[in-house]
Amino acid sequence: MAGSLKAPSPPRWLLAELTYACPLQCPYCSNPVDYASIGEELSTDDWKRVLKQSREMGAVQLGLSGGEPLVRNDLVELVGYARELGYYSNLITSGYNMSEEKIIQLKQAGLDHIQISLQASSQELNDFIAGTSSFVEKKQVAKQIKKHGYPMVLCVVLHRQNIHQMKDILEMAIELGADFVELANTQYYGWAHHNRDQLMPTQQQLNEAEAIAKEYQASQQGKMKIYYVVPDYYEGRPKACMNGWGTTFLTIAPDGLALPCHSARQLPNFDCPSVKDYSISEIWHESKAFNYFRGDDWMQEPCRSCKDKDKDFGGCHCQAFLLTGDAKNTDPVCDLSPLHHTVRDAIKQSEQPSEQALLFRNSKNSKLLNN
Amino acid sequence: MSLDNSKLCRLSVGYRLQWEQAQNMFVLLYPEGMVELNQSSAEILQLCDGNNSLDKIVKTLEEKFAATGLEADIINFLNSALDNGWITQSA
Repeated sequence: MAGSLKAPSPPRWLLAELTYACPLQCPYCSNPVDYASIGEELSTDDWKRVLKQSREMGAVQLGLSGGEPLVRNDLVELVGYARELGYYSNLITSGYNMSEEKIIQLKQAGLDHIQISLQASSQELNDFIAGTSSFVEKKQVAKQIKKHGYPMVLCVVLHRQNIHQMKDILEMAIELGADFVELANTQYYGWAHHNRDQLMPTQQQLNEAEAIAKEYQASQQGKMKIYYVVPDYYEGRPKACMNGWGTTFLTIAPDGLALPCHSARQLPNFDCPSVKDYSISEIWHESKAFNYFRGDDWMQEPCRSCKDKDKDFGGCHCQAFLLTGDAKNTDPVCDLSPLHHTVRDAIKQSEQPSEQALLFRNSKNSKLLNN
Repeated sequence: MSLDNSKLCRLSVGYRLQWEQAQNMFVLLYPEGMVELNQSSAEILQLCDGNNSLDKIVKTLEEKFAATGLEADIINFLNSALDNGWITQSA
């Protein structure tokens, strides 16, 4: 079902999820909960083919992500090849186990920037959320990244258990010399969806955090760019998912599955194609998965007649699937959705005291959930 | 921060200006983002290479395009480029 007769615009962004392996165990990880049972990783040659074919189509921003991309032995080689092809390459890493030697090697290979994540502004909470004692080392790595001339992006995922540290987190970012700070409220996919009741912040927490973000955005203007990503459960309108399905973003999962968004592999009957079987051009232009939500032929009411349909494209299809069971429904975050109550109910449910502990992201728990 | 005519303009650390054949345009690349540039923006940014002050940029472009009166537009653009963090100035 092609949504539009117009030829799709070429991909601009390639997200290469090099591996699902990761030394951290963050309970909001966006990787699939069943990652432990997903097959073999692509080879170096497979990745090079993906990089080349995507670049030829127009992709220019490259995210090297995971899991933890540092786990791959061929990371420096892939970065060098990406530079040769003309990509702007972004390494999205926890920074854990990143030696100064590796930072230098990646720089020489042509890596453009490193985004490092911290889990909190205090050692105790950081190490609890990460499931690994990593705070002191990660801060050290952040300083080395700066020392070797990279622009440094500090990412902190926000949720109920750390959002009260907003001010300390921003002070820490200033101390570490971050050029960009991404304060991203948790999005409820993958592990985060499973742990939603324990992670969802309250409206009051959000109001306080947003006020602090605005204050620092003003005082740091021209010095440090601060992105504050609002949580969509509390918004009346959905986010413009992926800037429009199959218009801009291409994700390749560790096993070679090509995804229009990094959560799309959970959508049923989607038949996401693999780069082992098809070229990037075939995948982008001809596959069912990439054409599925292109244009607006797929839309049902209330999206179909909505004046905002070209602005938010009906919102997030993965969220519609997770909350309503049908990816073609309006994203229930939208208050025009007849199923908007699923979002209100989720917020209400998270306000109730819960005995359930956070489920950390690791192979043992992944196998447990998959059985 | 505002434009200082005595200083030289350069792209900020981590920003890269690049011609994109597939899009037939210059783009400005930076951590996790990009800006598609129209021709005049691209012409100005190409001169932000650490060797040029405002006056020099204006002079170079007025000569290149055999035009006059470009200064106001160039100042406007450079001011917003500074505000956006795309460029920095140094002595």
